[in-house]
Amino acid sequence: MTAVETHQAPRKAKEHGPERTVRDEPPGWLVRLRRQKLASYVILVVFAVLYIGPLLMLVTTAFKTLPEFFQNPTGMPESLRFENFTEAWNEAQFARYLVNSVVYTTVATAVCVVTSVLVAFPIARGYLKGGRYILLLYVIALFLPPALIPQFQLILNLGLFNTRAGYILLFLVNPIGIIILVNYIKAIPRELDESAAIDGCGYYRFVFKIIVPLIRPAIATVTVLHAIGLWNELVLAIIYLTNDDLYPVTRGLIAFEGLYGANWPPMAAAVLILMTPMVVLFLFLQRYIVSGLTAGAVKG
Amino acid sequence: MRESPTGGNPGIPHTTTVIHRSYLFARGWRSATPVLLLLPGFLLYLVMAVGPSLATAVYSFTDATGIRGIAINWIGFENYDEFLLRGAASRDNIAALRRTVYFCLFVTVIQFGIGLLFAVLLNQKIRGKKFFRTLFFMPVILGVAIQGLIWKLFLLPRGGPAAEFFQLFGWTSELLGGQPRQAFAWVIVVQIWANAGITMVIFLAGMQTIPNELYEAARIDGAGKWQLFRNVTWPLLTPAVNTNLLLNIIGSLQAWQLFLVLIGYRPGTQVLGYLVFAEGFGQTSGSVASAFRQGYAAAASIALFILVLVFALVTHAWLSRREKRYIG
Repeated sequence: MTAVETHQAPRKAKEHGPERTVRDEPPGWLVRLRRQKLASYVILVVFAVLYIGPLLMLVTTAFKTLPEFFQNPTGMPESLRFENFTEAWNEAQFARYLVNSVVYTTVATAVCVVTSVLVAFPIARGYLKGGRYILLLYVIALFLPPALIPQFQLILNLGLFNTRAGYILLFLVNPIGIIILVNYIKAIPRELDESAAIDGCGYYRFVFKIIVPLIRPAIATVTVLHAIGLWNELVLAIIYLTNDDLYPVTRGLIAFEGLYGANWPPMAAAVLILMTPMVVLFLFLQRYIVSGLTAGAVKG
Repeated sequence: MRESPTGGNPGIPHTTTVIHRSYLFARGWRSATPVLLLLPGFLLYLVMAVGPSLATAVYSFTDATGIRGIAINWIGFENYDEFLLRGAASRDNIAALRRTVYFCLFVTVIQFGIGLLFAVLLNQKIRGKKFFRTLFFMPVILGVAIQGLIWKLFLLPRGGPAAEFFQLFGWTSELLGGQPRQAFAWVIVVQIWANAGITMVIFLAGMQTIPNELYEAARIDGAGKWQLFRNVTWPLLTPAVNTNLLLNIIGSLQAWQLFLVLIGYRPGTQVLGYLVFAEGFGQTSGSVASAFRQGYAAAASIALFILVLVFALVTHAWLSRREKRYIG
């Protein structure tokens, strides 16, 4: 209670001048409201500690020497040493892992998004016989059994095991993305198609020059969702890539953990190096991520 | 918009022009073009997703290995028999199945509750709303490798923050390295930490669709905060509740990757998803011969699939009955 009042009183003074600073008895409803807000804050702060705590531990550890860490794991580091970061960067091939991750993510996401638009557009418009059934097939797939084992047999027999191409091949389709795109395209007026056809604008050009710019928010959502899932993929990287040179960052991080074991300071530095760009990107792309995750979730 | 045939005649309702496919494609577009351009994406989908998905059932009746060039034989229900009915291994498998259900129940209930709590608190006019939302959602985008490693450090048994905290109550524990049951419980905690943000944003999106007038009307009728939640928010949140319940149940039944990062393949902690991976891709600690049993792993993944299907269908049926009750 007092915390809230002392926090608000000086603000009032600034806004309304000295005559309104003292309010002897706030009305009952205001007291209740403030009490409720205080309770909300208490709960939120308790949870925030649970969310920040692990991150704080990571940051402090990344700046410690190993003896310092063993003596006092939870304390603050004595000085800001960046040696752990350089050590992590040099010892593991993080530069290469990053390049791999970037290659896998951009190539697979680009192919996935372009092909998805070309699937979604004619389905949304009804330009195909049986388009409705194709859409149904994409919806049903979300409930089919996991494809893990036959997929592995397929890649193995194509001779693509432990290759970049084979790994990328695993990430070229995204049924949820198709569904998001179809729903979005349905809202674009169909008169556009007619005018374009009359003006002699070809189908391919129409889709990429006119439809794509119009559905940019949906494309951004699908791109971001697909790219994040792919970037974070660990299991398929463990299954399909055995060569250290081909590892994406997730797999590289786990390999680094295997080598460094209990040597947490460089380990924490490595995690921090790989996490920071994700967090920064997230702060910028939050809107698309959230809209992708909640797409269709609340319409009933 | 083009002029409709009825013109501006006020007597006849204005209708949008219907564009016939034949018209469109007779004018400029060759009718094969959409199909040709759709094919790459669709074929990829059939070959990489639908086909393998269905083939899982076929593989579950074979003795396939993950080694190239070894013949694959049809062995009927052998894999299922061994998985569920034969010997010590099957007892472990049944235990894993039960554990998967426990994991699902704990994660679903707690994550649903916490997600709802976050959403209710952060749907108020409150300072720092954006900060809290961002903070609670952030773990979602980090992925299992980073999520797992962050918590492995936090749960350091000697002198780590969590251990220190519990020491205050005189409770010492090896945390992730402790009894299987404890390790399992910690994976539940991390799983919820990692995913509660999704539940929260879905609830928040649902709450934003509830018109403010309803709250005002209820408030004028003298409804308190709890009544507002019970009689306005909760019933109108039904679509978000349905989505979250189904997503949480399906997601947690299939989740196992945090087990991999946090504790590895440890007896007494495995869930079904991990079992599929371990049997199919040689991550069990056994000999090479016992590893890479992909037919067997396919049978296990069909078992998991059936579990997910049953849970999803039962939940769905229950939810639609509940929805009817609300709508009347």
